[in-house]
Parts: sequence; structure tokens; C-alpha cells
Amino acid sequence: MNFKHKYLFLLPGFIVLLGILIFPIGFTVRLSLSSWDSFFPGLDFIGLENYTRLFTDDPRFWESFQRLSFMSVITVFLQYTIGFALAHMVWKEIKFQRFFRVLFLIPMMTTPVIMTVIWKTVFHESLGPVNDFFSLFGVTPLWLSSEALSKVTVIIVEVWQWTPFMFLLLLAGLLSLPKEPFLAASIDGAGPIRKFVYVTFPLMAPISIGAIIIRLIEASKIMDTVYVLTSGGPGTSSETSSFYIFIKGLREFQFGYSAALSLTYLIIMIISLTIIAKMLVKLMIRN
Amino acid sequence: MKKMIKISTLTVTASLLAVAAQADKWSDQFPHIKNTGDIAGECSYESMSKKDYSGQKLTINTHAVPVIGEPTALHAEQFSKLTGAEVNVIHTPAGDLYSKAMVPFQAGQAPYDIVFGFSNFIRDWKQYLQPVPAKYVNMRQMQDVTQSHIDVNSWDGEMIQFPIDGDRHYLKYRKDVIDNPEYQAKYKAETGNELRVPQTWKEYGEMASFFNGWDWDNDGELEYGSAEVMKKDDLMFAAFFSRSVAYAKNPRVKGGYFFDLESMEPLINGPGFVEALTDWVEATKYVPPGGINFGLGDEINSFGGGQTLFSFSWDDAFVAAMQDDSPIKNKVGAAPLPGSDRVWNRSSGAWENEYNQAPYIVWGWTAAVAKASKNQDVAFDYLCFFANDANHQADIAIGRFGVNPFKKSDFVPELYVERQGWDPEIAKQYADTLMEMEEGSTNRVFPLRVPGVFQFNSAIATATSKALAGQLSPQEALDEAAADWKKIVKRIGADTIREAYAVGVALEDNL
Amino acid sequence: MGTFYVTLKYTAVTLWSMFVIAPFLWALSTSFKDFNSVTSGATYIPWVDFEPTLEGWRVLLRSPAQGGVNIVEPYLNSIFVTSLASFISILLGTLAAYALSRFTFKAGFVKNDDITFFFISQRIMPPVVLAIPFFIMLGKLGLLDTLLGLVMVYVVLLMPIAVWIMVDFFNKVPVEIDETALIDGCNPIQAFIKVVLPNSIPGMVVAGLFCMIFGWTDFFFAFILTFTEVQLLPVAIVSLNSSITPWWSLSAAALVSVAPLIVVAFIVERYLSKGNLSGALK
Repeated sequence: MNFKHKYLFLLPGFIVLLGILIFPIGFTVRLSLSSWDSFFPGLDFIGLENYTRLFTDDPRFWESFQRLSFMSVITVFLQYTIGFALAHMVWKEIKFQRFFRVLFLIPMMTTPVIMTVIWKTVFHESLGPVNDFFSLFGVTPLWLSSEALSKVTVIIVEVWQWTPFMFLLLLAGLLSLPKEPFLAASIDGAGPIRKFVYVTFPLMAPISIGAIIIRLIEASKIMDTVYVLTSGGPGTSSETSSFYIFIKGLREFQFGYSAALSLTYLIIMIISLTIIAKMLVKLMIRN
Repeated sequence: MKKMIKISTLTVTASLLAVAAQADKWSDQFPHIKNTGDIAGECSYESMSKKDYSGQKLTINTHAVPVIGEPTALHAEQFSKLTGAEVNVIHTPAGDLYSKAMVPFQAGQAPYDIVFGFSNFIRDWKQYLQPVPAKYVNMRQMQDVTQSHIDVNSWDGEMIQFPIDGDRHYLKYRKDVIDNPEYQAKYKAETGNELRVPQTWKEYGEMASFFNGWDWDNDGELEYGSAEVMKKDDLMFAAFFSRSVAYAKNPRVKGGYFFDLESMEPLINGPGFVEALTDWVEATKYVPPGGINFGLGDEINSFGGGQTLFSFSWDDAFVAAMQDDSPIKNKVGAAPLPGSDRVWNRSSGAWENEYNQAPYIVWGWTAAVAKASKNQDVAFDYLCFFANDANHQADIAIGRFGVNPFKKSDFVPELYVERQGWDPEIAKQYADTLMEMEEGSTNRVFPLRVPGVFQFNSAIATATSKALAGQLSPQEALDEAAADWKKIVKRIGADTIREAYAVGVALEDNL
Repeated sequence: MGTFYVTLKYTAVTLWSMFVIAPFLWALSTSFKDFNSVTSGATYIPWVDFEPTLEGWRVLLRSPAQGGVNIVEPYLNSIFVTSLASFISILLGTLAAYALSRFTFKAGFVKNDDITFFFISQRIMPPVVLAIPFFIMLGKLGLLDTLLGLVMVYVVLLMPIAVWIMVDFFNKVPVEIDETALIDGCNPIQAFIKVVLPNSIPGMVVAGLFCMIFGWTDFFFAFILTFTEVQLLPVAIVSLNSSITPWWSLSAAALVSVAPLIVVAFIVERYLSKGNLSGALK
């Protein structure tokens, strides 16, 4: 559809966003070409030195990407599956439907920074209830202080916090599905499983893809959880890219370098997400 | 020298205790100082009440409540009442104090008149700070501050930060175990060694391992060997350095501890440091479950809650243990950090088999006035008031305030016995240990205070944390740290760093 | 098969509910503890395992000089900033989303999808690097430490969410609806307001909810961009985090900060159900 007033709709939002963002983004680009740190604040010009450094001399950054991919893919996958399952279960008739729906929304309403402190006490190896339970079996898993388990703990907390996000989107999607295809399927004699695979799931494809992509974007920024729970440790085993950027930026005050890292991160994420989005579309359309 | 210190502190104490008998008008109005009443001085309650700062405003950025945060707010309220100034206080978690102050400073703004922080920020933020005017430096109140605290707050002889708190690392141990004849006998029988205050880190490790994982105080819970700051955050590197001083600070070798002053080569992957890190990796076996992720708060909870035999970083764990409602009150003792039976000599490239011990004059809380502040006199008066004798005496008696002794007149055992109910023997041991470290030691290490200090510390933290996690061997980890340090030196400029480092080395060598 | 599935359903839902509630119960219990109850091992039931105290809760109402943090004002500030920023974001975002869903744009090689992507990609940037530029920008505009400055920054953070959700929803509202209205003689603006908008209430409610959540729970920007005049709730609560972590007051604070959004959750659920009933788009 074409319509000469279409700009009226688009431009207010677009201009506000662009207007407020243009300085910060521009500044970040300029910052990445300088060596601003706490001792030498100010925008000197060092060309692409920061970028050379991060490509040739910073294995820690690339390792953090690996970890990030690992953790965010697993987290989003779990959130999607669980979220979808829950949404499907409270979609139709179920006792206490109202209660469950509201309850399942609550975790994402909490401030991550604060809630994660609570989780830290829950998973505290000596004083927390989780290990109190496990001590009945004679084991003390090191939730926050072993290389493997620290990632698991971060994932558990993230899943708790953000599954409601998927849940809500998918539930809203389910609730707005048209009835006809289901009626048609019933008439054809399809049982619940067939209905799900051939009617529900494909109809939900667009929303699923959107939800997964947005959740991947948000999951990649995992900061609060890592910061409070493990500080990226032990060693660097739970250090994600955004946490690393945070350390370089606000702890070590290497702002110039941190800007370069951020922009590189941004570009890599945009490329990966576009690829993933296209893949998902192909996957779901095929079904 | 020692005699003079003793006489002057006795005089001050006598007057403190004498004054305590008087309930003066100030302690009626301000119950906080009821134990001592107002103590005369340029910044006393009396003096402040004569100033009129109405219409002026102070903005202060301090730590979260209660550690330092609560006394800041409390003294702000008192100051406001006395002088009429409006004082706004905001609270920030420890790890963010630096960035919260520096981001505005670097953007050319100064929303805070006073910033609180750690004294090792000094090199990085001193360009934005107003040095302490001579008027305050020469006050009796300031002259009473121990030399190491003056040094830690000064740069090249100029006082940049205002001493308001004292901090140090020292060994803390459970007296009810170490001095227990039954356990002494048991230990001797099973290991052939004496159970005593550990003199070396190896002894520390042996004793901690021995007392790890069983209930030795009969409270129904398991106890462990040691609580240490091992979490990869802003403080862990200090714990590492405390452990390495004995092995790597050789009194006979001058010219630098972290770097060789001439060449600016990092020394941190030398055998002394590697030995310390090896000890530390061993320690992961005798810390409580999750101990490898202990921050300072966890360490305080652990030792202060009676969970471990030893601890060795800041004062807080000891103070927590000696609180009135603590189950282990008067069951803990204080001693200097363990030493080592041998020390590395980097000039000769060999180990010297001589006992070596040295304090790591660690940094702690401090405050400073922003250069761009429009109310500098009000700000300095506030800080002076914060640290005045009456307030200081009252503050150190309240454990959660986080204010610890740093004045010579603080190290009088009677004060702790009377005001806080400490056992006289423990109070004496405490006062002697601290005084010896602050005023008496000659072989010591000052904290690293060079530009980019956070990058250096962060590199150490990352590397040592990898060793503790078993990702790398101690030598590999420290080699990685040294390589990182070389890069940082190159980026910031060897000359710039050398110039700054020389200031610290001068303090270490000229004793 | 029917009963098996039903039992499975109830078990799964119950298990997940327990998982959701668990940390809140723990927080509730911890909020009544003190230092000793926390450091001697995990304790659960008040009076049975430990001596409860109201200290954790009282801290929230005291001033810092008495060792507390007053959260009433930050609470109100958070409500104001979040609501205003969400409102503006939804307003501008819905308009933009409608345009991107219905009309074609072309400026060079930049098409609809690219513009949508531009909006969404704002969410990818890690906040830490935007800290200094936003700081400088607000500084120059004199908006540091003000409610307005925060609203401005939050609009930038929240509008992408509104746009993305509404584009999705508008794409699912059949174009026939618009066309029917146009045939009936409305111009596109009227068609939008009279016909399309009412059918998009579920979408707008969801978008509103997400905006409120992301705005309410932001810690980072509020932390960097405010000092004394304006304090938002997450910053006020985190300022409790001293070297000895006060688990009890943090637990109390966590519970208190969740409360208003529970109300919002109820409202959202109601709209969702109702939206379903009127969602028969005929």
C-alpha cells in the first residue's frame, strides 16, 4: 500500500530514536579510534590500533564469544521449549488457570540485579539451601566455583528469569490464533499431537522466530547475572563478551578499547542474528 | 622512638579516659559521642558549631550502608546541625565507587564535592583532587595519624587524600584452638610439630589442613581451615600479594618489588611469587565449600561466623568476630602475617634460607575533595570533623561502621577492654601487632599505585584465578600475568609508570 | 491417553510453579534473619530454625544516617520514569510499526525490513559503552540527574521493543480490515484509529508490559546518569550492597520491588483473556 501520509506514521518514532542515538553511536565510533583510558582521558587519534589489538592480541575476547554462544543458545532453547510447553498447557481449560498464568509471568518482573543476589545465597555452597539438600546425598556440588557448574548455574538463573518472556509472547500468540484450522483438523479426525505439529506449531512460526531472535539479542547481553553470581569466574569460565567489555570499560577504564570491542561485538551479532533468522525461517517454513 | 610514642599515646589516652567521665553538652545533643564527650581540637563539635555554613551545599559519594556509608551519613547529619550546611550523601557499592566518581570527572563534571574510595586510586584520580591544605596537615589530630597511613594517602610528600580510616592485613586465628592444650597435644602427636601461631605460610597451610573438615568447636557444624578472598573481583589480588610478600620482598634487595625500577620489567613471575601462588592453590583444599568464590563479605561471614581457623585479610573479620553477639567473641587472636623460611633474592638469582617476614601495607578507605568543588573549605571541614577524635573513638567501637584504628592514640589496649568488652590479653596482642606493623616495621611493601593500576590488578586477578581454578599452573599463570603487565606498561608508557612507581619504592627502600 | 496427558500437564505445571516460587520463599524467610542466622548454615523456618527479626524490613524505611535506605522516593521516581517512557515509546513505536507493516518504504536500497531491523538492533548494544556518550550528552543538555534525562534515555531503550512487538502484531491483523474501512470512506488515518487500533489491544498491552519491565528493572543507566536529586529504585536497593552483604534487607527489598508488577501481571492476564474473546476478527 502506498500512501502519502505514511511518513507521518513512521517519522516521529524514527526521528526521535535517531536523534537521541546519533551522538552516542557517533561518539562510540570516534572513541574506538582513540586510546581513552583513566590516565589519558580525551580523544586522541590512534587509528585502527584498537581493532588490530582485538583481532590479533586478545584471545580472551574471542573465548568469551564462544562461551556466550554456548550459554545463550542453550538458554534460549530451554526458554523456548519450556515457555511454549507452559503456554500450551495453560492455554485451554485447566484448573487455577488464572493463578498459573499470573504466577508464570512474575519472574521476569523482578530486577535481575537484585534477584540474582537472592540466587547467590540460594546457591551458596556452604550456607545455601540447595547444597543443604544435596548434602543429604553426601555431595557438595560447587555451583559457583567450578568451571563446568558455574555456567550451569548462570543458565538456571537466566531460565528462571526470562522464560516468562517467551511464555507471555507464545501465550498471546496462541490466544490470537484463528479457530478455523483447528476445526478443520478436528473434522479431519486429527488427535492432539497431530494438531500441534501440523496446525499449532506452523501457525506460531512467525511469532516463534521473532521471540527467539529478540531473546537471543537480550540473552547475549547477560551481564547482571554473571556479575553478581560469579564475576566471570572461576578463572574466566563464565565470562561472557558483554561482561568482558564491561570489565575493560568500567573497571579498567580502557574506554577507547572497550568501544572498539563493542562495535565489533555489535557487527558480529548483527551478522549472526541475520543468519540465524534466515535459518529459522527456512526451518519453520519447511514444516 | 618507641618510648616517645608510648609517652604521647599514654598522655592522649589518659586525657581521653579522663574526659570520658565528663558528660558535656555536646554528648547530650549527640549521643553518638557519649563515651568520650567532645574532645578539644580544631575540628571538634565545639569548633564546628562556631562555623556558619548555612546556604552552602555539600554532595558526597560514599560506600553503601553500613560500612563507611553509615558513618558518612551520620556525620553528615551532625555536621549539618552544627554548621547549617546542607549535606547530601549518596551510596554506591564498593566496586563502582571508582567509576561513579571518574565518569563525571573525565567528562569534565564534578557533581560531588567529596568522594570516598580506596586509597590505591590515588595515582589515577589525583589530577582531579584538591590536596589537603597545610592547615589540616599540621593539626594535632592529623599528626596523631600513623606514618604508614599518612604515606598511603600522600603522593610524593603531598597529602592528597584525607585519612579517615585505617586498614591493614593481619593474621587472625581461633585462640580456642591454637591455645587449647588438648589440641596442641593432638597436633604434636599426629604431626610432630608445635601448634602455635603460624610463623610461616607453610605452617599456616599445615595447620589449616589439619583442622579442615571436622567439628572442632563442638557446635554441630563442620569447620574448615581458612577463609580467604579468592573470588575474581577487585580485592582478590591483595590477598595474593599478602601471601607473596614473605617470599619475594627481600630486605637486602632494593629497587622495586612489582617491577624492577630501572628496566620496568615485571617481577611477578619470579620464584617468590610462584611459590606464594603454589601455596594459594594448595589453600583451595582447606577452604570451606565455595571458598574459591569468596569475596570479602563471604570471608567476613565465614571467619566471623566461626567457620574457619584462620583468615588474613582486612580488619573486618576480626571486628565481626569480636562483636557482642558473636558466638566467638574473645576467642580470636591477632598476629602479624606469616613469614617464610626462605626468601628469593632476585639479584643473586637464588633462595636465601633466612626467615623473612614483611607487612603488606595495604590500602583501605579514604576520602578526598574534588578540585572542581565550589565548597572546598566546607568539604575539608567535614572530613576533618568526620575524623575528629570524638567521632573516631566512637566509630571504631561500632563494628559495622568499618572504621578501624589509624591513629597512634588508638593503639591502647585499655580502650578496647573498656569500651568493647575485649579480653585484655587479646586487646594487648591486637594493639601490639598493629603498632608494630604501622610504625615499627622496616621491611615492607607498599601497594602498587601507578597509572592504570586497575589494569595491573585485573591482570593479576585473572591469572591467579585461573591458577586457583586449575586452568593453569602457577608458573604459567604468572607468566601470563607478566606478559599482560609488559603490554600494559608499553601502552601507558614505561617512563610514566616508572616515575610513579619510584614514589612507592622510595618509601620501601629508605627505611 | 487423555488422562495421562492431563496428569502430565498438572505435574509439569506444578513443578514449574514450585521452581518459580522457591526463591521468593527463600527471600521471605531470609528477610527475617540476621547475621548469625545466616552464617551458621542454611536455616528455613522462623522460630524453629532461627530467631526472626524485623531488621531487614525496617532498614528500608530508615535514613542512611541510621543505617538504612529510604526507598519511598526512589519507588515513586521509578514509577514515574518507567510509565512516562513506556507511554511515549508505545505511542511513537505503534505509529512507526503500523507504517512498517502496511506501507512500503524505499530510500535507496533501504527497505521496510531494514528499517525495522535498525530499530531492533538498538537492543544489541551493551550498555556499558553507551555510558560515557550518554553522560556527556545529558551533561551538555543539563539533563544529568533529572527525571527528564532518564525518560529520554529510556525511550531510546524501550521504543525498539514497542516497534518490534507491534510490527509482529500488525502483520497478523489482516489487511482486509483496513481495506474494508477504506472502502467505507475513511482515510487511512481514520482507518487506523477506528478499526485497526482496537484490534491491537492485546499487542499493545504486551508491548506496554515489556516496556514497563525493561524500564523498571534497568539498573545500569540509572546508576551512571543520576547522583543525588533523582534516585531510581534499583539503584537505591543496590546501594545497600556493602562489603558485608545484608542478605536480609536485600531480600526484603527484592520482595517489595516485585509487588507493583504483580498487579500489572494481573491486568495483563485479564487483557489477554479478553483479547481472545474479542479477537475473533470478524
